This record gives sequence, structure tokens and C-alpha cells, in this order.
Amino acid sequence: MTTLPETAARRNWTLSAFLSKWMEIGIVPVLILVAAYLPFAYFAIPEASALHMSLFGINLIGQIMCFALLALALDLVWGYAGILSLGHGIFFGIGGYLMAIYLLNSAYAETNVLPDFIQYMGTGGFPTVWKIFSRLDVTVLITIVFTALVAGVFGFVTFRSRINGVYLSIITQALTYALMLLLFINDVGLGGNNGMTGFTNIAGLRIAGVSTQIGLAVCSCVVLVVAYVGVRYLAHSSLGRALIAVRDDEARMRFLGYRTHTLKLIAWCLSAVIAALAGMLYVPQVGIVNPTIVSPQLSVEIAVWVAIGGRGTLIGAIAGAILVNGLKFWLSSQLPEVWPFILAGVTLVIVVAFGNGVWGTLKAAGEEANR
Amino acid sequence: MMTGRWLFLTVLCWLLTGMSTSAWAATNHSALLAAFCATDGNKATALEQFVEAGVSDETQDQAWARLIVDAIRNSALVCNSSGLVTIQGTPPLDAATLKTAANSNPGDSPYVPSIVMMRKLMVASAEIDLFSGQRDTRADAARQVDKSFALLDPAIITKAIKRERDPDIASVLTLAMAKRGLGSNNRADRLAAIKAVAEVPSETARTALANFVAQDSVRSDPEVLAAVQSAIAKIDTSLSFGRAFSILFSGLSYAGVLLLTALGLSIVFGLMGVINLAHGEFIMIGAYSTYLVERFMQAHMPGLFDAYIFVAIPVAFVISAVCGMLLEFFVIRFLYRRPLETLLATWAVSIALIKLVQVLFGSQNVEFVTPGFLNGGMQVSPGFFVTYNRVFAIVLALLIFLATFAVVRLTKLGLLMRATTQLRDMARCLGVAAERVDRLAFGLGAGLAGLAGVVLTQIASVNPSMGTGFVVDSFMVVVLGGAGSLLGTVVSSLALGEINQFIEPFYGAVAAKVAVLLLIVLIIQKRPQGLFALKTRV
Repeated sequence: MTTLPETAARRNWTLSAFLSKWMEIGIVPVLILVAAYLPFAYFAIPEASALHMSLFGINLIGQIMCFALLALALDLVWGYAGILSLGHGIFFGIGGYLMAIYLLNSAYAETNVLPDFIQYMGTGGFPTVWKIFSRLDVTVLITIVFTALVAGVFGFVTFRSRINGVYLSIITQALTYALMLLLFINDVGLGGNNGMTGFTNIAGLRIAGVSTQIGLAVCSCVVLVVAYVGVRYLAHSSLGRALIAVRDDEARMRFLGYRTHTLKLIAWCLSAVIAALAGMLYVPQVGIVNPTIVSPQLSVEIAVWVAIGGRGTLIGAIAGAILVNGLKFWLSSQLPEVWPFILAGVTLVIVVAFGNGVWGTLKAAGEEANR
Repeated sequence: MMTGRWLFLTVLCWLLTGMSTSAWAATNHSALLAAFCATDGNKATALEQFVEAGVSDETQDQAWARLIVDAIRNSALVCNSSGLVTIQGTPPLDAATLKTAANSNPGDSPYVPSIVMMRKLMVASAEIDLFSGQRDTRADAARQVDKSFALLDPAIITKAIKRERDPDIASVLTLAMAKRGLGSNNRADRLAAIKAVAEVPSETARTALANFVAQDSVRSDPEVLAAVQSAIAKIDTSLSFGRAFSILFSGLSYAGVLLLTALGLSIVFGLMGVINLAHGEFIMIGAYSTYLVERFMQAHMPGLFDAYIFVAIPVAFVISAVCGMLLEFFVIRFLYRRPLETLLATWAVSIALIKLVQVLFGSQNVEFVTPGFLNGGMQVSPGFFVTYNRVFAIVLALLIFLATFAVVRLTKLGLLMRATTQLRDMARCLGVAAERVDRLAFGLGAGLAGLAGVVLTQIASVNPSMGTGFVVDSFMVVVLGGAGSLLGTVVSSLALGEINQFIEPFYGAVAAKVAVLLLIVLIIQKRPQGLFALKTRV
């Protein structure tokens, strides 16, 4: 009589704990394993084996890791600070474009041939500012500082004037749209419509080389792990708790004496920097950067990944990005006409029926049964 | 063919008018022809005589001259060695009387005009056309005269200008005359011509003066130079007014579409706090409904084809409104109090709708046949051309806004909507079925977007993704105007429409978008709820 509910409770307790604790920590070794497996899968495992991965597959995993990084960045501001940005593509784009400038610089140093769009501009060389981006480490540093600055200025203006909720979403979306239009113009000098391509080497390594591509994919996994650990630490710190409080009742936090806009600003800038890093890793892997990476479409899609995975859970955001993009790469080659309908359908079902996303729903179910 | 018709008319005229006139005319005609055919005669002077006959008040002479000039142009006029002048054809005609020629000599060859003569003939023909009863013929003739202004006959053009009722044609002719005057060596003529050009300001007039002032002979004459410069300045002022008006006007039509789109958005946002990213797709649905109506009318009632745009108004409204209510019923009502998720859900709906329409209709632009009465436009002042389709857009937007205003202010639904917007819980306590109000309001908003789609078929291209660009701008209108405020929507769509069109021609579309965004961010600093925030109590 008395033993039955006890076992049920124990089993559910395990599920809940498994989800909320073990998986959230467990994802770190999983991702590290994936990172370690990639070079092994290509070089050591014979091609005939099912465990062997083609360079295409590894490249895909690298790209998906970049998207997961983007989702993580958005989850930090949306899930914890309640700011739904439909403009994270801007920061992704800043990272991507600055990286492309570096790559073009190093390609020019190697081949001494200017890219077509620079030749059409008739300036006879790169703009002088581009000279700063001649080394990879400097480029990374400048990108981080520049992104933080841009995000800081925008965040300061908007948060201080208490623009939030859907208003902020709309404004960020409009900004993304404006930036995309700007980048489409040829005279802006960033390649216009065709974007920038023709990269040859990165930090002295051949960019198309097998080991470079695998290295970039591994690097994406590693950055994702580091960012995840960092963000999770932050989310569980007092700053993270304050952010959650701001999300749930900003007015009350203000009355309690917190500078809510400063709290939001910190999360916002950090998130922007992570998104820019994702862009920096993404561009050398796809070999091109063009204005579509700042399209409003992509920026909304980031939010969709997070919503599907479950916002405010970090691991859910990463899982959502990996799931959706994996599905997208698989389905758009198989059934290109059907993919938008599937994405729309999944988004609708998850958002309407499971407001917390896949991860959030599982977790809530575990906690509910636990009670 | 042409000749045949003129011949018929000529014969008719001859039958109608008396024999006495005709006898005089025939003599006169043969004298003119003889002068033309004389071996030592000046063909150009003789041609002028024909034109003079052609522009006389006698209908009969007019028709005759037209016929002769055409015959010369077509190399069909034969000066026979016997002295008889005939027009080639079967049977050959006596050129003076236009009766069948008695004895034509097959050995004589027709007169073939030289290239110089051809140009004179062209002008002569155009000059005769200036006295035609058809407006379009006169307008074409005026353009022709303007093109070869150096060859025109000032007496005839002056006469034509005096007779001309249409100001457009008259100004073209005046300009042609003036251009000819500018080419003269006589200083008084030049001054008069400069004055005349300044009277008919247009881009071409300005170009004519600019070319004129570039000549050395003009630069050396201070009086003429001063006159030209003041004339150019006068034209510039007048043109810049025209340009300003046309920017204002295109801004107004853009504002009209923005207003229709943003009204629905604003009502829904004000009422439910819901942002509908699929709103742009209702515009698209409205436009495609119009397309279906157009196809249907073309196939089944070609007689009433021009009226399709009016049939499309209710059809598009109903289709979009039903789609809107379905969206509300199946998706949105589950997401109240979760506005950010609504954003994503409606985005999903929007990509599905775009893809669906792409599958059904293809992703390229669909072509519309503009109804006859919306074709063309009117020159209001120099540099300011009003097209009827834009006038239609503005008028329709205005009427629909008034209707919406009436619905919101005067009907019971409007009353319930306003009550729910202000204080949802209290309204429900008093027995308002808030869910029903929500659904109807959502339908109304979607229907209004559909109407914007109808308007857009006439002024923009229609394709599956047409709504996405518009919806960003409409959101800006709502953010600036304040959600749920009709007045705010009008003011801010006017402001944004005009700002957009004022910046775009000078700095490009991107600068316009960025400027609008900055403006909005600045205004929101001072008024976070928009310019015309409703007083709500939550």
C-alpha cells in the first residue's frame, strides 16, 4: 500500500533531476566528445564505416554549432532578461563581415589580387581602415570591442527610455531590415549584393584545407562549450537571478532600487558579443558573407529555435538550434518545397501547445510529477 | 488605307458643299499644284501654300491639302508632262479635282522628295494635323512640330496656338516657337523668345535655355544673358514647386497604403496587445483576391471588366477578414498575455502563407490590367504630374479610413471594442463577450489589410512576399502613433509616408528607413506609448 507511491515519486524525482541537473551539466562532456570525435571520424575511421564522416558533414556540424551559439546568445537576453531581440542577426553580421574583411586582407597578402567588388569601386585598394584587420587575434579583439560598443549604445538608448516587450522586438527587427538594405548597396564597399568571398587562408592555414575546416568545426564546438559554461555560470549567479526578476517584474525591481537598465545592458552586450563570435566562426566555414545573414528572416528564426527548444533553459536553446537546423539541412535537400510548412507547423504547435518549448515542457512535467 | 479614307471624306465634302465653291477651289488647287510642279518653282514655298490651304477654315480645303501632302510624302504625286497633276493609284486621280484622271501618262514618274524635303513634309503634315478635331492627333502633331522646331511656320503655329483649347498642347507649341526664336539672330526676337519660354516652364524648356546660354554669341550679349538667367531662375522656382508637390503627392499615396495597413495593426495591437507578423500576408491575400476577381471578370464579364477593382473591394475584404478570424480562432486566442510568443506564431503563419501562395500562383509578379479610368494622369503644374491610380489610392484610403472611424465610433461593435481596449476585465464583468469582440476586431484588421492589398495592385508589384516589406513600415506607424489610436495612426502614417518620400529621392531608401527609425527612437524617448497614447487602465 505504502510502497507504490514512493517508488513512483522516486522515479519521477530521478527524471526531473536527470533533466535539470545531469543533462545541463552533461552536455559539456557531450559537446567536448563531439569536438574530439570530428577529426577522428574523418582521419582514423575508414570511409566504409558508418561512423566515418565526410568533410561536408563535419562542415555542417560546424555551421550548426555556430547557430547553437547564436541561440545561446538569444536565450541569455530572451530567456533571462525577457528581451526578445529580433535583431541578433545584426551582431552575427558584424562578426561575419569583420571576419570577412580580415580574410580578404590575408587573401590579398597572399595572392596580390584585389577582389572584384574593390576593383569596381575604382579605389585601387582596400579602404585604409581595413589595415587594422590584418591579424586574426587583433580582428577578434576589435570585433568583440566593436560589437559590445554598438550593442551598448543601442541598449543604453532603448533600455534607458524603457522600450521593452514587443516595441523593442519591432525596433530591432526594423534595424535589421535597414542594415540589410544598407549592405545590399554596392557603394557601401562591403561587396553589396554578392557579398564578400574568395578567401584563401586563415592565420596562415589554407582555408579550404581539410584540417583547417575540421579545425574550425572543432573550434566552434569548443567556443560553444566555453560560452555555455560561462552563460550558465552567469545565469546561476546573483546577476542571473536579478535578471530573472527583471524579466518577471521590472517595475518592482526598480522600486527595490535596482538599476534594471544596467542589468539588462550587461546581458545585452554579452549576448551581442557571443552572437558576433558565432558570425566570426560561421563565415570562414561557409566561405562567403552576404547581406542575407542580416535578413530579418534569420533573426526571427533564431528566436524560433530558442522557442522550440525552450527559452530560459540554455540547453534547450542549444538543442533547439541543433534540431531545427539539422532537420533543415536534411529536409531542404530532400523536400525543399515542404520545409517551410514543417517549420511553420512545428513552431505553431510548440508555441501554442507547449509554451515552454521541448526542454521546458519535459522539465515541467518532471517537476509536476515530483510534487 | 489612309488615302482611301481621305478620298471618301473629300468626295463627301464635295457633294455637301455647293458647286460654285468647288469650282473656285478646283481652280485654286490646280494653281497651287502647277506652282509645285513648275520646274523652276520653289518646292518649299509651294508646300507652304498647301499647308496654308490645309489650315484654312474650309473643311474641304483642309482635306484636300492633307491628301496632297500625304501623296507627296508617299512619292505618289506625278507631275505629268502634259501639265496634268495626278495621284498614283488605281485608278489614278486628278490631283486638283480628285476625280479619276482622264488621260494619265504611264511613262511619267512621281516626284520623290529629298531628305530635306521629307523633313519639311513631316512638319507640314504635323502643322495640318494641329487643326484636326481629335485631341490626340493634335498632341502628336504638336510633339512632332516641337521636334523639328527649326522648320515650323510661325504664322501657322501662332494661329494654332490661338485656336488651341488644351493648355498642354498650347504650351508645347509655345515652347517650339520660342525655341525657334532662340535660334534667330535678331536680338529682339531672342528676347521675346526667352520671355515666351519662361511662360511655359518645364524640364525641356529649361534644357532649351541651358543649351542656349552655352552659346558664345549669347554669353557675349549681357542683356540677353541677363534675360536668360532670370528666365532660368523663374523656371527653376516653378519646377522646384512642382517637384515638391509631386513628392508630397507620392508621399500621400504611400501614406494611404500605410494607413490602411497600420489601421488594422493598430486596432488589434491596442485591443489585444498582440503583434501580428502575418499582417503583411493579409495584404498579399487581398492583392491575390483582386487578381482572382480580375481573372474571373475578364473571362466571364468582359463588358464590365473595368469595374473589377470595385468588385474586388468587398471580395478582398471578406476573404482577408475570414482568414484573419480563422487565425485568431486557431492560434492567437491561445496566446493572450504571451505577446512575444504570438510574434513567433504569427511569423510561422506568415512563412506558411507565403509558401502556399508561391505553390499556388508561382513566385513571380502577377500582371494586372489597369482599368481604363485609372490609366494615365494629369499635368497639374510644371514638373507635377498626377497619375489617376495614385489619386485612386488616396481617395480609397480616405474613404476606408472614414468608414473605419464610423465603425469604431458609431456602431455597437465599435463601442464594445473601445470598452475592451480600455479595461478588458471591467468590460467582461459588464457582460461584453470579449472573445467575440477580439475575433471581430481581428477580422476587421485583417480585412483592412486586404483592402490595402487591393490598392497596392494599382501602384506596386504583386508577389507572394509583397507584404513583408510593408509590415515593417506599418509597425513603425503603430509604434509612433500609439497603439489603438485612430488619429495617431493617421498622423503617423502621413508623417512617415511623407518623410520616406522626401528623403528617398535624395539619399536613397536606406537613408529614409534609418532616418525614420532614429526619429521614432527619439520620439519614444519622450513619449514611450507613442504620440497619441490611449488612456488605458490596466
